Amino acid sequence: MKNIYEPVTAEIVKVERQSKDVLLFRLRSKGGVPFGTPKRGMHFTPGQFMLAGVWGYGEAPFGIASDPYETEYIELVVRRVGDVTGAMHLLEKGDTMTLRGPYGNGYPLEFFKGSDVILITGGSGIPPIASLIRYIIHNRKDFGMVHLVYGAKTSAGLLMKREISKWKRKIDVTLTVDGPECDWKGKCGFVSDCLTDIKVNPANTVVAMCGPGPMVDSIEQLVNPMGISDRKIFISMERRMQCGVGRCQHCVTGRKYVCTDGPVFNLDEIDRNWD
Amino acid sequence: MWCIKTSEKEKLLTALKGAYDFRDVSSSDLPPKKLFFPEREITFTHLVKDGSVTTPPPPRKFVLYGLSLRDLEAITCLDEIMSAPEKDYYYFRRRRRALLIGVTGEAFDVPPGGDIIISSIDADTSKLLSVTEKGERAIKKHLPRLKKSKSPQAVPVKNDTMPDLRNLLMDAELLKVAVEWSWHGYKKLWEKLSRECLGCGICTYVCPLCHCFAAEDSVALSGDEAVRCRRWDACTLPVFARLGGGEDMHPGLRERYYNWFYHKFVRGYLEFGRSECVACGRCQRDCPARIDIEAVLLDIVSAYSKSAQRRRRYR
Ligand SMILES: Cc1cc2nc3c(=O)[nH]c(=O)nc-3n(C[C@H](O)[C@H](O)[C@H](O)COP(=O)(O)OP(=O)(O)OC[C@H]3O[C@@H](n4cnc5c(N)ncnc54)[C@H](O)[C@@H]3O)c2cc1C
Ligand code: SF4
Ligand code: SF4
Ligand code: FES
Repeated sequence: MKNIYEPVTAEIVKVERQSKDVLLFRLRSKGGVPFGTPKRGMHFTPGQFMLAGVWGYGEAPFGIASDPYETEYIELVVRRVGDVTGAMHLLEKGDTMTLRGPYGNGYPLEFFKGSDVILITGGSGIPPIASLIRYIIHNRKDFGMVHLVYGAKTSAGLLMKREISKWKRKIDVTLTVDGPECDWKGKCGFVSDCLTDIKVNPANTVVAMCGPGPMVDSIEQLVNPMGISDRKIFISMERRMQCGVGRCQHCVTGRKYVCTDGPVFNLDEIDRNWD
Repeated sequence: MWCIKTSEKEKLLTALKGAYDFRDVSSSDLPPKKLFFPEREITFTHLVKDGSVTTPPPPRKFVLYGLSLRDLEAITCLDEIMSAPEKDYYYFRRRRRALLIGVTGEAFDVPPGGDIIISSIDADTSKLLSVTEKGERAIKKHLPRLKKSKSPQAVPVKNDTMPDLRNLLMDAELLKVAVEWSWHGYKKLWEKLSRECLGCGICTYVCPLCHCFAAEDSVALSGDEAVRCRRWDACTLPVFARLGGGEDMHPGLRERYYNWFYHKFVRGYLEFGRSECVACGRCQRDCPARIDIEAVLLDIVSAYSKSAQRRRRYR
């Protein structure tokens, strides 16, 4: 019988500081075994997550930020908030982490094809969106207009800046910070304020989001006025997770398990939950 | 099916005691799940010096003797829960090594689970039923000269634990609809219960079907070794749904206590087509706040039926 809780060991081949409390880890599985079985060349679907851990400190879920077509490594972007992430932040190049996954559904790529795509995220919600952007760029002609709106409290809190400046050649990007700052060339204000500037054809637009709770709460007010229906708005939800396989009950929301049914749900599904 | 005298039953039990670890749970307050899914178990040990990762060895074969019909049913249901979507390694390596023996005076048409069921007929005679091949093999091995017999007539004992809940469980769909309705339709009840419930988690620990768990890592003081454990958790406890950053998805007892019902009667029904409850009575017996889920469910179903009638009348 397979032990579904047994992780693989992954070696950290690169650590890159993204902000005061965020590090990017590039991980290669020891022995060169790739992560997940590839499907149509992809080792995971953007929006899927890994349970990464440190022996003695525990495991926690992280959206995969790297290119799904990349076979050599995966990248996780980790904000330090507690025990597990605190232990990860003490790791260096050459150290190891444990990994299980990929888990969850990911964004519905086939459904997105042929549409204009608005990507909305804030703070450390960028990893799964980053992976989705990499997928879109890889298959650029399958998509119409693609617009990323990414906000943070301050410009120091915007992650993956180097990647974003590369993406700007292929997709539209609006960066925003909450308050005014010296030398800041992007926008000022909340993500919602920037959305009004985007002109879309609601009939042919899908929205992908991943963001902090309060931002997700205001989604309806953000996007519904644009005329995009709840069924075309996809959100990656965050819940506490322990098992990743639909058993421990920590991640439940209404009728669904975020670990196996999600983490990506459309807004209509989310609205039906009692909690 | 066999008919056996007390002396033969004793012989069988003595033989089983010799061949297996023998656990008599007939007078145990705790649910039998703990033998397959212990309160706390080490899942992995990691040695720092060589990076090795090991899983502790499984237990010896054991007999679980004295299970009631409802506990047998609970184990059957838990087997299903622990199989979806993939088999739980730690649960099934124990489960596979167990021989389940039910003991009852109740009548039943279809055995609800287990490997062997012993039903008492009178002071000196019992009915011995093999439910699985494993049970049949154990009986034939230890009582080889036994002759099969027709079912003798017994006077069944009535089980008077939670009879009304038992009835409600026959219509799992009604329970599902009523419990789901009650969150908005009967807010007052959940307000009241959230004031009564202490959020202690006892009801979930004693329930033979509750199976929430948490993982817990720790490092040995020497720093040489790390262990990963899994332990029972309870959805009624405060931090159950708290995120890393501190946001709590079920901040109040109202959400947490309702979630307990929601899982058993709504999500459980959607996943497995039945309620995740067998009316064993433990949660009613052990709740320090004296909350009686049988009374709560009767109340919900009656309020729901009234509201459904009212809706029909004004349509
Ligand atoms: C689908 C998904 C994708 C995510 N993607 C990202 C991402 O890309 N980047 C990012 O920064 N965050 C991401 N998060 C959030 C991230 O999972 C949390 O920030 C993280 O769980 C916090 O863990 P912590 O231990 O540091 O925090 P804590 O508050 O200390 O603990 C939170 C969790 O860790 C477990 N834990 C803590 N200590 C132990 C221990 N000793 N043993 C075992 N378990 C322990 C807890 O049980 C709990 O589940 C994502 C979350 C989800 C659900
Ligand atoms: S045993 Fe009673 S008080 Fe404790 S959590 Fe359950 S319902 Fe609440
Ligand atoms: S009666 Fe209570 S303890 Fe027994 S199965 Fe139902 S919910 Fe669980
Ligand atoms: S993380 Fe355990 S059920 Fe989803």
